[in-house]
Amino acid sequence: MQQTISTVAEITKKIESGRKLLLAGDEDALRQLPKGDWIAGTIPYFISGEEGGMVSREMICATDISDYVTDIEIATYDANSLARVYSEGPKHGFSFIIIPASSQTHLSFALNGPNYKDFGIRPLIGWIAGVHLSDLGKKTPKVVNGRTGEVLEDAALVLQAQLPINKVAEIGIVNLFEQGDGDILTFASDGFAAKDVMVNGEKRNFAAYIVKNKLDTKLPLVADYYGALVNISFQDVDEVEGQVKFYAPVFTGIRYKHARPVLDYVKEFNLRLTKEGAIESNRVVFSCNCILNYLYSELEGKKTDPFVGPVTFGEIAYQLLNQTLVYLEIMDV
Amino acid sequence: MDVPSKSNKAWADIVTGKKTYQLKFLAAKILLGRLTRAVKEDPSPDNVSSSVDQIYAIFANNVNMPSVQDDLKTIFG
Repeated sequence: MQQTISTVAEITKKIESGRKLLLAGDEDALRQLPKGDWIAGTIPYFISGEEGGMVSREMICATDISDYVTDIEIATYDANSLARVYSEGPKHGFSFIIIPASSQTHLSFALNGPNYKDFGIRPLIGWIAGVHLSDLGKKTPKVVNGRTGEVLEDAALVLQAQLPINKVAEIGIVNLFEQGDGDILTFASDGFAAKDVMVNGEKRNFAAYIVKNKLDTKLPLVADYYGALVNISFQDVDEVEGQVKFYAPVFTGIRYKHARPVLDYVKEFNLRLTKEGAIESNRVVFSCNCILNYLYSELEGKKTDPFVGPVTFGEIAYQLLNQTLVYLEIMDV
Repeated sequence: MDVPSKSNKAWADIVTGKKTYQLKFLAAKILLGRLTRAVKEDPSPDNVSSSVDQIYAIFANNVNMPSVQDDLKTIFG
């Protein structure tokens, strides 16, 4: 694992020695860093190897990829040009993306990413930048281009990393949520909000349905993508307006089910890793987990070994995910 | 293992849902979640062919990944 939680002075030293870094930290901390080979997103929540879940406005989470990559490029995309993100990925390597939460670029990627040209043709992993929860509405999430010093609130920064020919990147997810035994839910249009839902084929108001059935909105909707379980987290249920908002878009034609409860995140997390068994910690280069898992499962002070890293406002493993841990492995071939 | 050509019937069987497999390659699973649904709604030869192009392309471009090698063995033996 190449992820550490470090001081601004320690990161500065690494940057000045030419290390290639993927960074996460509070905006004020990131603004103190010198120019160099790095990109960053704002977030003050982390999972550290020593302390487990933690919040710090002073420390920075750093993933040092210098020893894996042969070359990097940093590209900036807007909501329109991001459609090229898969096509322009390195032929032998991976792309690492950070997008500020609630920006037009974030919304566009969430809605349109699965239909971008060459979807999945090259590995794309990353996360959605956020802010301290007490700063919601006061500060905006941002991304920082270390080479230029630009601090951006509506753009996607992508670090395109070339790997040597004997190494390959793989992206994985750990999602503890599974589809429950309840109704099949489908939607008539794509979007971050829905008024109506089809419940087993019958049209209903979604907010009223949630209230009547006492659905726990800390549990996401779960879709089955050919065996990959993809969550849609609830943001708000407005009974008066009859509208439900989500942290990722629902899509037409996808069959969702409300998730089965996860009673003890850390316990079930460890059980899952034991069961799957194939994750070798020395191959995991980067991981991040969702702020909703951090909050709802009370991860502050709790460890999720071998995974550390930023706690994010959304996770990207080819497309936007919610309430999911995503990780990047680099292995010899 | 090399990636069998697009004309291999197994690719069409996957996107039409005639055959299903437990795959490991995450991008393929997410893409197939969309493609199998789209082909079910529109099983025209053009749509099947376009879907085969897409799933073939992500396997061909990631052939060195261990998960892709495992999936190729699962699908093609």
